[in-house]
Amino acid sequence: MIKITDLHKTFNAGTANEVYSLRGVSLEIAEGEFVTVIGTNGSGKSTLLNAVAGTFLPDSGRVEIAGVDVTRQWDFQRAKLISRVFQNPFAGTAPDMTIAENLHLAYLRGKPKYPKTELKTSRRGKYRDEIGQLEMQLEDRMDNVIGTLSGGQRQALTLLMAVINPPQVLLLDEHTAALDPKSAAQVIRLTKKFIERGRLTSLMVTHSMSQALELGTRTIMMNKGRIIDDISKAEKQRLTTNDLLDKFAELRKTERLTDEMLEELRRDYI
Amino acid sequence: MELWIGALNLGFLYAFMTMGVFITFRIHDFPDITVDGSFVLGAAVAGVLLVHGVNPITSLLVAFLAGAASGMITAVIHNRLNVNGLLAGIIVMTGLYSINLHIMGRSNIPLINQVTLMSYIDRVNPGLTPEIWMCLTLGGATILFGLIMAWFFKTNLGLAMRMTGNNPIMAAATGVNVDRMKILGVALANGLTGLSGGLVAQYQGFADIGMGIGTVVIGLAAVIIGESVLRMRSIYAKVFSAIVGSLIFRLMIAVALAVGMDPTDLKLLTAAFVLLTLAASKATAGKKAFKTALSHFWSKSAWNGRKVSVAVCLVLVLTVAGWGYKRYHGSPAAGPNKLYKIGVVQLLDNPLLNMTRDGFLAEMKKMGYESGKNCVMLEENAHGDMSTVNNVLDKFKQQQVDLIFPVSTACTQAAISKFKDRPVVFAGVASPFIIGAGQSDTDHLPNVTGVYGGAPAQKMMDIVHRFKSGQFKIGTIWDPSQANSVFNVGQLQDIVKGDSDVTFIGTTVTNSAEVSQAATSLVHKGLDVFTLVPDNIVYSAFESVLKAARSKNIPIFISDVERLTDGAFCAIGYDYTSVGNQAAHLVDRIIKGEKPQDIPFEKNKKLTFGFNLDTAKELGLTIPPDLLAQANVIVDRKAEATAKAGHPTAAAPTSTPSSGQAASALPPAADKVTPAADKPPEKRLVVFIFSETPPIMDTRKGVLEELTTSGVLKKYNISVDDKSAQAEFYLAQSIASDIMRLNYDYVITLSTPALQIMAQANKRIPHIFGGVTDPYRMGIAKTPEDHLPNITGVATMHPVSATIKAIREILPQAKIIGTVWNPSEATAEACTYAARDAVKQYGFQLVETNISQVNDIAEALNALVRKKVDALFTSGDNSINLAVDFVGKIMKQHKIPYFTTIPTDAGRGAALLSIGADYVEVGRETARQAILVITGQDPKNVPIKNYVPEKMVVNAALAREYGLTIPDSILRQAAEVRR
Ligand SMILES: Nc1ncnc2c1ncn2[C@@H]1O[C@H](COP(=O)(O)OP(=O)(O)OP(=O)(O)O)[C@@H](O)[C@H]1O
Ligand SMILES: [Mg+2]
Repeated sequence: MIKITDLHKTFNAGTANEVYSLRGVSLEIAEGEFVTVIGTNGSGKSTLLNAVAGTFLPDSGRVEIAGVDVTRQWDFQRAKLISRVFQNPFAGTAPDMTIAENLHLAYLRGKPKYPKTELKTSRRGKYRDEIGQLEMQLEDRMDNVIGTLSGGQRQALTLLMAVINPPQVLLLDEHTAALDPKSAAQVIRLTKKFIERGRLTSLMVTHSMSQALELGTRTIMMNKGRIIDDISKAEKQRLTTNDLLDKFAELRKTERLTDEMLEELRRDYI
Repeated sequence: MELWIGALNLGFLYAFMTMGVFITFRIHDFPDITVDGSFVLGAAVAGVLLVHGVNPITSLLVAFLAGAASGMITAVIHNRLNVNGLLAGIIVMTGLYSINLHIMGRSNIPLINQVTLMSYIDRVNPGLTPEIWMCLTLGGATILFGLIMAWFFKTNLGLAMRMTGNNPIMAAATGVNVDRMKILGVALANGLTGLSGGLVAQYQGFADIGMGIGTVVIGLAAVIIGESVLRMRSIYAKVFSAIVGSLIFRLMIAVALAVGMDPTDLKLLTAAFVLLTLAASKATAGKKAFKTALSHFWSKSAWNGRKVSVAVCLVLVLTVAGWGYKRYHGSPAAGPNKLYKIGVVQLLDNPLLNMTRDGFLAEMKKMGYESGKNCVMLEENAHGDMSTVNNVLDKFKQQQVDLIFPVSTACTQAAISKFKDRPVVFAGVASPFIIGAGQSDTDHLPNVTGVYGGAPAQKMMDIVHRFKSGQFKIGTIWDPSQANSVFNVGQLQDIVKGDSDVTFIGTTVTNSAEVSQAATSLVHKGLDVFTLVPDNIVYSAFESVLKAARSKNIPIFISDVERLTDGAFCAIGYDYTSVGNQAAHLVDRIIKGEKPQDIPFEKNKKLTFGFNLDTAKELGLTIPPDLLAQANVIVDRKAEATAKAGHPTAAAPTSTPSSGQAASALPPAADKVTPAADKPPEKRLVVFIFSETPPIMDTRKGVLEELTTSGVLKKYNISVDDKSAQAEFYLAQSIASDIMRLNYDYVITLSTPALQIMAQANKRIPHIFGGVTDPYRMGIAKTPEDHLPNITGVATMHPVSATIKAIREILPQAKIIGTVWNPSEATAEACTYAARDAVKQYGFQLVETNISQVNDIAEALNALVRKKVDALFTSGDNSINLAVDFVGKIMKQHKIPYFTTIPTDAGRGAALLSIGADYVEVGRETARQAILVITGQDPKNVPIKNYVPEKMVVNAALAREYGLTIPDSILRQAAEVRR
């Protein structure tokens, strides 16, 4: 379903703030796979998801979704195929519009928007049923603006909005990181439910080792703009969170070593 | 009623713009300044189309599209070039200014004779009061539009647009092309603004380049006010809050006007109002956040917020209205007998417009119209805001004003399109024909008449030709957005076209900061003469032109006489005060029953014409004597000094109107005195003095004494008025014209300038002068018998020779006499010539120093002291006369005896000895000349009297201080000895 080939991206090229964020990432994800992504801060996880969503154009490489080369497409053009949930609960909804209006626009994702009124009683009934699945008693507040909801409620709603019109690819970027543990657990439960129900091809970034191991059919690990490990479902069942943490510790060591070596080299030369 | 209905109408029309601002500001979250330009764009497009006979509805559609296109450009600049939205708006707005001017072809398109939407609406009136019908239809249309807008924001597209503004990342994630949506939104907003501009232009009857200034601010204020009143989250409420805000904003202005608040304070009131509503909504927002937790309180708190702001609005409106009611109804204007009401409106505070207005008011007063007594004079000033003019006119309608007096083109245009049922008398308009007030002086709108005229371009060019020969270039600078300037420049260009020797070069400016550059560029293009037509911007930045002109010794010809003192070389223009006077007479005729229809438009009658002699000297230009003689204003720095010593400029002429002079024929004014049967019909005499210097005051005293004691006043039933120009040439000018207008029977002028100015203005009224040194040099007379037919008087040379003789007697050893004089003063010159002859006769050497103003005196005296003069002699110089005490003091410090030809100088201690004319005596003699005329002699046959009643005053106290002995021969002659 997703095929990424040798993707490179450098931000702010040629300036003091230059960051080489993706250094040749290749990844193939089959239809229905649920991939969790882990990695240190700044390793390029979000950048990878943004590359798939089309937030920016890569320097080189290719992105294919459902057999279509979308490398040169704008984000709003790819919206037909992809839906996303962001880390920030405020980013996924329009705060001054009502729940119904937000859901309706989510439902229209990737479709042309004509000046005609479709948000009528029959459709509202459908949205009401969908909201009921969240089990958050939001179905009676369909006409409240989103701005009046709590972060957990919002994020659950964003999730619902992402799947209300089932996408080819679902991108989740640490979508529970900003929530309190109780809400986080609830949103994770919903995530699992929606993905399984729709058999959605998903990419989910997380910082929780246990989540990474528990959820999904496959886990990839990123470091310094590269995928350094790809753990299959079978392998995941053998690993514990401690094993994963060890892997990180190892990485840190090598990094430190490199720093020391650099220092030495510098000293030799000066 | 009209005031409120008119305010509602404007509110509805502006509501389209407000809805546009709502879209950019509230939906797209940026204040779009483009609306300042697209508002005018809509007006311009609609105006031009209407003039070409296009259907008003179509014209509005095109106005919408044009506005939308301008909005699109802003959005594209903002998106594609990544320019900040505010900046993009400023860029497009700035560019639109030129584009709008191009579309209109000039700064103003009159629509008064066009079929507009308003005439359509009028046509289908089922029989209601026109204003109310207009209000209903406009209100209906606006509300319908609001409903459509609200519906739009509920459609899929509208929802997507709202999401784009609310959360662009989210919008992109749901497949919305954010850039395109922004373009659509900003285009829609500016389309509505263009539509609004087109509507307002049709409503007020013209499109004007200046009508868009501050649109965005009005829009934002209206949106914010509306939101705080209708505090609901539904999109219907939001759209309608923009309409309600627009209405409240206009009503606020109406209230302020009804109260009689100065429109200057309107902006401040708006700011306070917006701030207050913002503060009110902030306060409730805070409460809201607190209460969301207790969610059942939420709905109540929203209501509280709304209540607070509704209360704020109500209280404000009611207090102001209540106060207004009291003031309005408590004013004497609303007495039981309905008084004639005159509404005076001007667009802005500008010295020239003010002169016209004041000229009008003064003249009205002179004719016996007194506000509050026999008429009501309502004065309003829109302070540069075109839409306020409309409010003012509505207010006039409401107050049932009987006659409108608009000053300036823009006000006139608004007035003639608003009033068809009552007289409009305009002034300060360059051409009433270009604004559709008429086709010719006699064929014009039935309810309109007035006084018009541009700068006298032909006359100015004629004078320019007297100073430049061969091929030369003239140039001017103007603001293309001022209708009057454009008209005047057009006139000038037309004249130059037919003149093969002259090339015209010009530059336009949009603000005063650009004038300097414009002037410099003209100078670099090899300009020979600046010919500046009246233009508010250029005249206010005159210094910049002057600087550029001085760099290459280029003379400036200008229409505004006041600029002469600032360094213009020649001024020729219409007298703005007299324009007001003239208009007052038209108003008078209308009040007395004439129909405006039968009163032809009048051209400005009076010219002011003058030179600056200092500038002439700097430029090395000699002014031909015949031109100089025609000039009624001559400026040199001496005059400036004189003016400083006197009253500030533009003071109203002092006059004491006599009982019968104001031929008041107002309906209620029945106080006209019927002359007693045994008395001859009353005659009026005026004594006109230029300045209040001691000799002139003495002369005046003599005149009045002699006139009274001779009994001639009683016998011939003559009333005497007194006028002083307070050493002010402009004032003297208007006094002279006033004397002519009031048609006095006799004029007595005292002092040379008064004689000169009066003689220029008056060729018929018998005129007797006194206190004049040499009338022969001034072209009044060739000999005592051969003089201008209506003028005679008394010539009093200063006894220069006698004074010099006295110096010899008192100081037998003295060799050098010093003198100080101003070469630009005719009298001083004559006296100095006489002194040069006299010193030879008595064996002195004369050392002269020149001054050009009072401030130079100290230095001149020091120079003389250094040259070791034995005595100082001054005579006939006005600057010295003003500073004689100062001169005396300096001389005392250096123990130099000081001699003058004005007896009072020694009398008050400044001089050691003075031999001069006894000016009281001169006055008596002048009166005797006048009596000859009053008793029936033709002035032509009364020869001018050369009369010097010598009077010597000796300051013996000072002589003692200096250790001088005054010979007995002298003491015996002295009329007065100061001990
Ligand atoms: N739009 C951007 N402009 C400049 N630099 C960027 C941009 N997006 C990402 N980066 C940089 O690329 C690098 C990778 O960032 P990325 O957000 O992908 O990391 P991450 O793995 O998601 O980290 P985290 O776990 O903290 O979310 C970082 O150094 C970041 O600063
Ligand atoms: Mg990240």
